[in-house]
Amino acid sequence: MTDKTQKSTRVVKVFRYDPAVGGDGHFDRFELEIEDESITTILDVLLRIQTEQDPTLAFRYSCRISMCGSCGMVIDGKEGLACQTTVSNLQGGEITIRPLNHFPIIRDLVVDMDPFFKSMDKALGFFEPVEKLTEPAIIRPDSKERRLIEKYTECISCGCCVSACTMANWYEDYPGPAALNRAFTLLLDSRDGLNEERMAQVLAGCYNCRSELNCTEVCPKNISPTRSLKYIQLLAAKQPFKKVDVVDIEDKIKEAAPEIPAAVVTPEVSRRNFMSRMTLAIGGVIAVVIGGIMSVTALVPAMRKRQGKWVKVGKVDEFPEGVVKTVPISYKVKDGIYESTVTKPVFVSRESGSDDVTVFNSRCTHLACVLHWDDRKKLFLCDCHGGQFYPDGRVKAGPPPRAMDRYLTKVKNGNILVREA
Amino acid sequence: MEQNENIQYRNPLRRGELDPNRWRNTQIGMWAWLWQRISALTIIVFLGIHLTLPYRPLIQFLLLITVTFHMVLGLRIILMDFGIVHAKYQKALLGGLVAVGAIMFIIVWIGIY
Repeated sequence: MTDKTQKSTRVVKVFRYDPAVGGDGHFDRFELEIEDESITTILDVLLRIQTEQDPTLAFRYSCRISMCGSCGMVIDGKEGLACQTTVSNLQGGEITIRPLNHFPIIRDLVVDMDPFFKSMDKALGFFEPVEKLTEPAIIRPDSKERRLIEKYTECISCGCCVSACTMANWYEDYPGPAALNRAFTLLLDSRDGLNEERMAQVLAGCYNCRSELNCTEVCPKNISPTRSLKYIQLLAAKQPFKKVDVVDIEDKIKEAAPEIPAAVVTPEVSRRNFMSRMTLAIGGVIAVVIGGIMSVTALVPAMRKRQGKWVKVGKVDEFPEGVVKTVPISYKVKDGIYESTVTKPVFVSRESGSDDVTVFNSRCTHLACVLHWDDRKKLFLCDCHGGQFYPDGRVKAGPPPRAMDRYLTKVKNGNILVREA
Repeated sequence: MEQNENIQYRNPLRRGELDPNRWRNTQIGMWAWLWQRISALTIIVFLGIHLTLPYRPLIQFLLLITVTFHMVLGLRIILMDFGIVHAKYQKALLGGLVAVGAIMFIIVWIGIY
């Protein structure tokens, strides 16, 4: 890095276009010795080139203190005011200066700002009072509108934002960041009488923004037109089903400003209607689909008769008389589309001198812990809270409220089957 | 104001036209816009691969990172659209959201594997 306060020689490339010659224009190269980069503005550079090297160089300027907005240009690829940008603000090497983008070029760095002010007009960028007051209206500095508008009324119409906006190139009807910012300040202004009309004029344009925020980056007054136009959309979103009477609005615009062609953008109206309808339709479809799925999920299992099934426990011969055996049973469960296998232990107790077997559920009736059979004590025991059951399932001790649950059983072809719900 | 019809105007320059440093001069918001479009298309591709070849860590990784990135860029627009974050903080917002997205991505990825 070079010390910016040191004397330096910089190469300045300036875009040149001569209407007498026509063509595409070209860049002219100037070499300039700069005493102190931190106090040399691009405007100084241009003035020096004009006085010292090429008196035919054309550019606009007026106030030199960044309040008139005349000297907006593209400096090293970024829009800015020539009077506000110092050479030390820029990276080292060549300095490229070109006219603003998206405006017809008259000569060198001078562009025709006509499209800019036309779109200002189209956005009804002027104040039309609700009522003719003789005294100034009182808007408190801490009122909501005043705080929302911030310093956004301080636009100096330099055109930097329009030049930086890529969308200004692609949409002919796009009012551009500056005009939309102006519309924003007026739409929030409670004294203004052309609210509906202005909204109808500019809303369609707001949708052309792709939120690249170039305008916010380059604005020499630190205004964010992106925020402005997004706020216009927010305002419109607060009244999505508002009917717009195009004829009425056109009449009002003619009355307020006869020289401005009322260009209420009808596609915007249909666009809004389309959007509201689509929102309703898509919302409806989503509601029906989700509601359908939820109600089917909630109701069908309750309505369906549960088909219990017989599950094989084992052969009768495997269970000696008078003995309690713990065996696992397993079966498949289908839950919706999900199928899984459940395996759990049951207690099989065959009484002496008969084929009758009792199959107990292994869950404790207190809090459903799994019981185990203690062959020495001849009791079913629960480890959780000390519940104890007799071999016939009655409660011996502990907290269980009732006897152990039994399965419905049957013997078929020598197999013991239990009914599982 | 009457215009002099004899003057031949040059057609407006476009942003980036005749600019040798066009890529360097592309602002961060423009990149955010472009990358959101690219990530959207990438999601379609990766989602298709993910559905046909499920449970492949590499594809899951790529899909998750693309979805996170796309989500972050989308949140940026939503937050500014609804005026929740002032547009003048757009650079900080983008940086912050990308950082949050990266942290979320790492947490989710470690949670899965």
